[in-house]
Amino acid sequence: MSQKEKIESLKSMKTSIALGGGQDKIEKRHTEGKYSARERIDMLFDEGSFVEIDAFIESRCFDFGMQKKKLAGDGVVTGYGTVNGRKVFAASQDFTVIGGSLGEMHARKITKVMDMAVKMGAPFIAINDSGGARIEEGLDALSGYGDIFYRNTLASGVIPQISVIMGPCAGGAVYSPAITDFIFMVENTSQMFITGPQVIKSVTGEDVSVEKLGGADVHTAVSGVAHFKSANEEECIEDIKRLLSFIPDNNVSDTLYYGTADSAGRIIESLNEIIPEESNKPYDMYGIIEEIVDDGDFMEIHGAFAQNIIIGFGRLNGKSVGIIANQPKIMAGSLDMNAADKAARFVRFCDAFNIPLVTLTDVPAFLPGVAQEHNGIIRHGAKLLYAFSEATVPKVNVILRKAYGGAYIAMNSKTIGADMVFAWPSAEIAVMGPDGAANIIFKKDITASENPAETRKEKIAEYRDKFSNPYVAAARGYIDDVIEPSETRAKIVMALEMLNTKRENRPAKKHGNIPL
Amino acid sequence: MSKYIIKVNGNPYEVEVQEIGGPSAPMAPAAVKPRAKGTAGRQAVKTAQPAVASAGDVAAPMPGTVLKVKVAAGDTVKKGQVLLILEAMKMENEIVSPADGKVAALNVEAGKSVTAGEIMVTIA
Repeated sequence: MSQKEKIESLKSMKTSIALGGGQDKIEKRHTEGKYSARERIDMLFDEGSFVEIDAFIESRCFDFGMQKKKLAGDGVVTGYGTVNGRKVFAASQDFTVIGGSLGEMHARKITKVMDMAVKMGAPFIAINDSGGARIEEGLDALSGYGDIFYRNTLASGVIPQISVIMGPCAGGAVYSPAITDFIFMVENTSQMFITGPQVIKSVTGEDVSVEKLGGADVHTAVSGVAHFKSANEEECIEDIKRLLSFIPDNNVSDTLYYGTADSAGRIIESLNEIIPEESNKPYDMYGIIEEIVDDGDFMEIHGAFAQNIIIGFGRLNGKSVGIIANQPKIMAGSLDMNAADKAARFVRFCDAFNIPLVTLTDVPAFLPGVAQEHNGIIRHGAKLLYAFSEATVPKVNVILRKAYGGAYIAMNSKTIGADMVFAWPSAEIAVMGPDGAANIIFKKDITASENPAETRKEKIAEYRDKFSNPYVAAARGYIDDVIEPSETRAKIVMALEMLNTKRENRPAKKHGNIPL
Repeated sequence: MSKYIIKVNGNPYEVEVQEIGGPSAPMAPAAVKPRAKGTAGRQAVKTAQPAVASAGDVAAPMPGTVLKVKVAAGDTVKKGQVLLILEAMKMENEIVSPADGKVAALNVEAGKSVTAGEIMVTIA
């Protein structure tokens, strides 16, 4: 073979591999609203920046007639490139190559780029579209999953890991996404479950479709497994790029600075009127968040799950912050198990990647109820306390209205390590709400009274005047200042600037034991 | 040397600026700034608690007392329209319709206590 022929042969091999399972299969996917593994890579990475690795990898399995099959790239495309100019490593499973099934070498391709991502300190994005383990490869395939989970865990808190579900992701395969930081799903075309509808039917007799069992709606709103739902693959890729803009490359690099014309000291007059006169009237917390962050740009995470708490990224004076806010419109903003889990995991992500935390507090309580108690609100609520206490990033809290009892302590209070705590004049910071407190403290007066209902009312009013305000807490130093709502953005920005040199040393330990 | 008057929240500040040469400031990050999504980017589902039973069932997100019912059986409602006010956790919680449709069943009236998960309204 002449040199020229060798080069021609290389070219034809690459062309054949690039087609994956074949053009006909790719076109069939297009009719289903799905792109091919390589088209997804092209959409994600800057044009021409993607460098493929291990295109020539082949399966080592010779059982069950597998030696006769030629599997392009062993069913996965791996490599690196740039996304909006930033280095990113990725793996994209190719469903057109025997269902994107995961075999030994397929897994090895993935673990190779994961190792590179960690070594180079760059985000890792896994696009999942696979029928599961390649049964023909037996334990070698299964071990491949173990190798991936292990690396997901070691990389956790070192580089951001993003999982994108763009097809089936079933059985053991779900645990790689589950360990990573963020999961994206696409409406109607992606599903995640441990056991599928057929097995469920035979074991429990329940009838359920794949979409109802583990579709994007279920996982973003009910189970909380996934963080983002997109209408289609194009939107999903845009959302991933947007998320990347808020997070750093790794745990020692800084988030990007996005210059903004939005003044750091912008006064927001509307905030002075946003809290209703009666404390039993709800308001929409989104309205406050979007006023405070740069250019109103807030990227919500877990938007459909546990809506009584809002989490997400915004920027203040050009730098990323993680925002955690109670939503008085949903379940009065009380903390239940799902809200605590949702917020705690976000706090830990931000802490791991040095993103300052800003909380907007309006919390009446942990949600009372037998179901909450029996399902472990103690265990779940503890995660939130633990996560805030553990976080050493700059922590700023603004108490807008209610801050009662244990829930007040859990919401980034001074006593669990908040660096700066502000309160609006509308704040009610106390051990419990006036109604409950008056019933206990003035029990004797109320029962002894000739008109108990009237006395009770008076005592509640008395308690409200004395304790349902920010000044008791301010007098003890549990909050640092009472501020006019309109200056909230300016005050947070100044606090974060002061805190940008924060150093906090903790006792050396292997790791803590967060209540899981 | 140039002099500028800069106004911050109405207060004028006089500043002097002098160019000293040397390397320019570090470059800003990639010009590609992801679009600001604001309200449009928010997840659409905004029901109080995802109803598991069926899409049209409006369940009580927590135990409480129905304060006001704002619709009647047979009414046509829009997604996001307030169906009733549930007083719970000392808050007047607006319970909104999960979808466009008709009020097929109204199981509560003002003053009724409900438990968490109880189906209060069904939209069909």
